[in-house]
Amino acid sequence: MIIARLARLAALLAALALLAAPVLAQTPLRVDVTDGHLDPMPVAIPDFIGADRRAADAGADIARVINNNLANSGLFTPVDPDAFIEQIENIDLRPRFGDWRVINASALLVGRVTIDGEDRMQISFRLWDTATEQQLLGLQFATTPDNWRRIAHKVSDAVYERLTGEQGYFDSRIVYVAESTGADGQTLRRLAVMDQDGANPSLLTDRTYMALLPNYSPSTQQITFVAQREDGRNMSYLYDLATGRRESLFDGGGPSISGEGQSLAPRFAPDGRSLVVAAERHGSHHIFRYDLRSRILRQITNHPADDVSPSYAPGGDQIVFSSNRSGRSQLYVMTADGADVTRITFGEGQYYAPAWSPRGDLVAFVRQQAGGRFALGVVRADGSGGERILYEGYFVDSPTWAPNGRILAFTRGDFDRNGTQYSIWSVDLAGFNLRRLPTQGAASDPAWSPLIE
Amino acid sequence: MRQVFGFIASALIHLALVATGFIYFPQAARYASDSVILPVELVTLADVTNVRAARPDPEPVLPEPEPEPVMAEPETQPEPETQPEPIPLPDEPAPEPEPEPEPEPAPAEPEPEPAPAPEPQPRRQPAEPEPALDLDDLSRLIDRSRQDTRSGAAEAGDTRRGAGEGTAMTATLQDMLRSQIARCTRSNADAPADMDLRVVVELRLERDGSLTSPPRLRDEARVMNSPNPFLRVAGERAMRAVIDCQPYRLPPEAYAQWRLLEVNVDTQNNR
Repeated sequence: MIIARLARLAALLAALALLAAPVLAQTPLRVDVTDGHLDPMPVAIPDFIGADRRAADAGADIARVINNNLANSGLFTPVDPDAFIEQIENIDLRPRFGDWRVINASALLVGRVTIDGEDRMQISFRLWDTATEQQLLGLQFATTPDNWRRIAHKVSDAVYERLTGEQGYFDSRIVYVAESTGADGQTLRRLAVMDQDGANPSLLTDRTYMALLPNYSPSTQQITFVAQREDGRNMSYLYDLATGRRESLFDGGGPSISGEGQSLAPRFAPDGRSLVVAAERHGSHHIFRYDLRSRILRQITNHPADDVSPSYAPGGDQIVFSSNRSGRSQLYVMTADGADVTRITFGEGQYYAPAWSPRGDLVAFVRQQAGGRFALGVVRADGSGGERILYEGYFVDSPTWAPNGRILAFTRGDFDRNGTQYSIWSVDLAGFNLRRLPTQGAASDPAWSPLIE
Repeated sequence: MRQVFGFIASALIHLALVATGFIYFPQAARYASDSVILPVELVTLADVTNVRAARPDPEPVLPEPEPEPVMAEPETQPEPETQPEPIPLPDEPAPEPEPEPEPEPAPAEPEPEPAPAPEPQPRRQPAEPEPALDLDDLSRLIDRSRQDTRSGAAEAGDTRRGAGEGTAMTATLQDMLRSQIARCTRSNADAPADMDLRVVVELRLERDGSLTSPPRLRDEARVMNSPNPFLRVAGERAMRAVIDCQPYRLPPEAYAQWRLLEVNVDTQNNR
């Protein structure tokens, strides 16, 4: 009897103990966070310190360029230097993180410039996470003092890469067509090149001919472009940035397209050994590959419709192009030798100027909608998932990708009574951070270089 | 005689039970010794807390049937199903830069947040019976709560709680934490879509909602030494988020439930 009672009591107590167990066992509360914000990250970048006046001036310039680069990316907000509490005097000491957290800086970049007797400039910097109080990056670059701006871009790239996980794009250049008015009132179009942030602009071609639609080689040493000749034909050229030498392609002594044909903007294959170009033959445009060593021109597409604007995938195995073979201009993807043509756009209106992203997953395009307005958009390279429009306006043309595939630059035309006003703008993949690139006067046809080696 | 027997047996078994509790759950004993945490744990046991306040605890399972101040002042107005935090702040969240203004140049090892002192703040009673559950309203509330860290701490001294939410509490806490952490988390939506960027951060919180110790990234070696820079950045972003987010605004009476947190962050596909 007693034993039975005891047994029952024990059972009851055991059950209660089991009930109590989850509470006492201190299992952590599980929280699944699937949302986040996309606000720019606040970064504090005090002037890089320097032992003497010259080094300190260079340090201030470098910090200014880095601030500007990071702000322009749209992913970072520089913290106002007036808010800084700690004065950085030695970059090899741990900063007072509290001082930087208080002003809301998530990351802190400190640097030092030294210029030695032989005019060598050394730039060292450390990137700190103010929340975890860890050093994220510590690097040193050496160069000549007149090269400080490129170092500033390289530091920007390193910081960007460390904080976002993706490759930077600041140490790159953009070639474009600068418009000006000649003595006789005619519009002149000349090739110009500038740093990605608009610094160091210079003209490449003279005023004797119109230059259009430039494209960079993967080595960043050459540019292809189209020139309008006096006989009215558009022909392709290769321009060597180091020597300034200009070479006509597919014409004259070399292989020619045909008597009356014209060739349009060539683009490089990712290996830099060949070009792909649309050219006219027998009344319609086809896509050709041009081997730069053997100088052999080989036709890839052969359709009665016009196939134009080819652009290689970063792997070099596929090509996207636009064609009106369905009636209206739409985008198609094929293998590098012309097989397996697949249509990837199906929307209203007409699609032009495809550009394959350096990341490989997306194709940027210009779409002219039914009302005549233009849009800049992206679509997956296999056509799945629909398209995303990043910008709409009066006129849009010639999208080109930043080397990391995160930002697009494009020609934007705005209505004006005296004729459309052209300028170059950039926008990020989410359709944010729309900004005008600083060019002197009207500009169009941007082409972004790969990262400079 | 039998009663005496029964009494002795009962006492012995009770003792044994308490002893087993300490053996099986040694950390419970440890925590109990260093703070007043344990009483709060009792709260979570009952499904209907209000009811339990009314009657003496019949169940001797828990060693200390202490008066339980939580129950001492029954909430006049049960406030059916909004989450238990009134958060009175003038609206206007504003960017809100400083979590804690402390402008004096600190020593080399800066301890920036000396655990916000519970500064009593006049608490407005939400007299209105809350017409309907408005999600916007709710999120605004939470937003403000994060702004004013001090009023959050002030809450710690209070004993107010919603009625009968024992079972819903976990979900409510998770929602509160989710929305607070999401505000501090930089999304990984900019990373390539085909990557697995999930990371888990383990936190231990003080009663005032601040971190007891630096957060711990689970699988830290795998994440931080990953050849995939996006994964490393995802780990860093998660760590930064949970640090930036403190102090957390959570109902103090449920402290036992949120003292230890396991935060799974996977913000890649939120767009």
